[in-house]
Amino acid sequence: MSILGIIFSYSERENLRELTRMRTIGSLPMAGKFRIIDFPLSNFVNDGIYDVAVIARENYHSLMDHLGSGKEWDLMRKRGGLRVLTPYGKSESGRNGLYRGSIEALSNNMHSFRRSLADTVILVETSILHSMDFNYLAETHIESNADITAVYTRQLNGYPTVPMGVAILRFNEENRLYDLSINKDDMSRQDVCWSTGVYVINKSLLESLVADAMAYGKYDFNEDIVHRLAGNLNIQGYEYKGHLLEVSSVAGYMKANMNFLNPVFREKAFQKPIYTKSKDSVPARYFTGCQVKNSIISDGCRIEGTVENSIISRNVIIGKDAVVKNSIIMQNTEIMRGVHLNHVILDKDVIVRENRQLSGHVTYPVVVEKASII
Amino acid sequence: MSYGQKTEMVAMLLAGGQGSRLGILTKDVAKPAVPFGGKYRIIDFPLSNCINSGIDTIGVLTQYRPLELNAYIGSGQPWDLDRLYGGVFILPPYMDGKGGEWYKGTANAIYQNMNFIDLYDPEYVLILSGDHIYKMNYDLMLDYHKEKNADCTIAVIQVPWEEAGRFGVMTAASDGRILQFEEKPKEPKSNLASMGVYIFNWQKLREYLNKDEEDETSDNDFGKNVIPGMLHSGENLFAYEFKGYWKDVGTIQSLWEANMDTLDPNVPLELNDPPWRIYSRSSNMPPQYIGENASISNSSIADGCKIEGTIENSILFPGVTVEKGARVSNSILMHKVVVEEGACIGYTIVAPSAEIGRSAKIGASEGDMSGKVHDEITVVGEFVKVGEGVTVPAGVSVGEDIFGEEAGR
Repeated sequence: MSILGIIFSYSERENLRELTRMRTIGSLPMAGKFRIIDFPLSNFVNDGIYDVAVIARENYHSLMDHLGSGKEWDLMRKRGGLRVLTPYGKSESGRNGLYRGSIEALSNNMHSFRRSLADTVILVETSILHSMDFNYLAETHIESNADITAVYTRQLNGYPTVPMGVAILRFNEENRLYDLSINKDDMSRQDVCWSTGVYVINKSLLESLVADAMAYGKYDFNEDIVHRLAGNLNIQGYEYKGHLLEVSSVAGYMKANMNFLNPVFREKAFQKPIYTKSKDSVPARYFTGCQVKNSIISDGCRIEGTVENSIISRNVIIGKDAVVKNSIIMQNTEIMRGVHLNHVILDKDVIVRENRQLSGHVTYPVVVEKASII
Repeated sequence: MSYGQKTEMVAMLLAGGQGSRLGILTKDVAKPAVPFGGKYRIIDFPLSNCINSGIDTIGVLTQYRPLELNAYIGSGQPWDLDRLYGGVFILPPYMDGKGGEWYKGTANAIYQNMNFIDLYDPEYVLILSGDHIYKMNYDLMLDYHKEKNADCTIAVIQVPWEEAGRFGVMTAASDGRILQFEEKPKEPKSNLASMGVYIFNWQKLREYLNKDEEDETSDNDFGKNVIPGMLHSGENLFAYEFKGYWKDVGTIQSLWEANMDTLDPNVPLELNDPPWRIYSRSSNMPPQYIGENASISNSSIADGCKIEGTIENSILFPGVTVEKGARVSNSILMHKVVVEEGACIGYTIVAPSAEIGRSAKIGASEGDMSGKVHDEITVVGEFVKVGEGVTVPAGVSVGEDIFGEEAGR
């Protein structure tokens, strides 16, 4: 068995406000020095899967810039390696514009998947982060004789509700999927199986299912393959019990980042290396008078002020008497002296001038768009 | 043989020395691979200087304990030196039909690799060493070399008179022409010290290397033989004065000082310099985590560190752990060092992966240093474990695990 990883670098159900106006969710900074896509990419590489395709849809400049040749994830390969698949001018149907759904995205890039020597495909989405043993998952898939294996979880990881827009899966006593519905409400539900967006499928089966769905004008993988064909296909469930982060909303994104301040979580998340683009920044510099508590700090930072319970990306300057609490600060941001920030997400290249004050709330952080000057 | 494509200048980096004055720090690694400045190794400086100066063909001559250096340089990609034509090459001593020998001296090392240089058919050869911390544009030095129509240009820097005797010292005329060159003189006549950076016209150097090889009494050394020989024969040798920060990090003391210089805003060694970045191989670690109880001032801390203790005027390399109640001051903790609860470290260099046990006391504390400044730097060797409560006095080098009573002997 050999495996092809396919990562959707965008999410159809995300609502990240200003954070994804200029970028796709895959290139959103995470846990200081990383971008979200580093997690699934490193997961594949750590499991010895060196054949990985990334499907991009729109706003993918920052993603391309980040990934480059794939060298930093050890994915610059002659056999397999990283392929970033961007949409081209016209699809096969002669249409311009965005994919109408995940099936169309797969269909338009099928020529690339066909070239891969792999026989098994693992589909991954970027709005849910986890670290799965993909080899064990694929073995389970083969052993169970399933047509498709759908990976679900029952845990909420401290989130009050099942995230909006995820698929809720129902399985019979034989662990075979018989129903799928999309979570549309905010109600707190206990003990449902919700999809992690990870599916395992034989490559040639994927190819024929996608071609078939396209012929009938059906475009959504969840709805039009998993749900519609549940009666005909043997779709088996696989429960994921490890740690998990859901980042499709601003509050979820904030919480996901803050999870990295928890030592137990951090230990698990970084058990295997997470690779990212190297920036050749200098180590972080702490000046006399700075006060840093319970925070993640990345290289290239220069800190003179106070930082608490925050996640700070690379090359951030925090001036004297500035106080940053419960916030996420992305790279190349400058926070000048006397600034107070609480529950704020500053996107990259932002400048906050002297003595400005910004404050949001746990459930609704203030988001400041890229390159703003306050 | 040559590739038939001319490279203007090839750099040859002498990285074979042990650096025995660095004691246990170079027990298992060559001096150029010694960690520096929180994430770098000494060799990152000449390599980055080369690429920033537009020099992309570099031979690195290795001899002493090359494993770590070879692994570190790899394909040269972190320095942008993985090239189709040129790039970085590791050049160890080798055998040929007539036998083979170790590099006998700096000049012999280049002599043995004349074939390599000829591949690129250069006009000039830049000779560098891997024991100094400095940021220098070699391209400006080459301009000077051409302008003076020199056969050899030697980069020089003014050093304090009392230290001049440790270096190759030059007397130069007002136009820069070198009149006299003395290697480590007892009574120096000048304080212009050679930085160990030379540009030669390749054909001229080739001629002198051949001559030097024939001379059986020669030490095959640039400073002792080749340069005095050229001067004696009346070649055009010029001194190029460098005004920036430059430091020989050949001793424990100077290595410690140069590290501390990176924390001093009054020293002109700014590493955070985007147009002149110092490149290094990345450690692939998560970002650092600063805990609830940490207190940090005037320090530089790298990726992967976990800090719960107190850090002052110190440099922490990737992956260092400092537990609660531990106190680290005026020290350098290299990769993956662990400092357990309540331990106290002052004026110390701790080599990679060493472990300092609970409540151990290493080196001088702030109070002891009255008047003596920092003359006595303590060193803890690679992978060394210092047991719980052990005291290691200032100035001691600990090369083996120590536990309990025997401490400090």
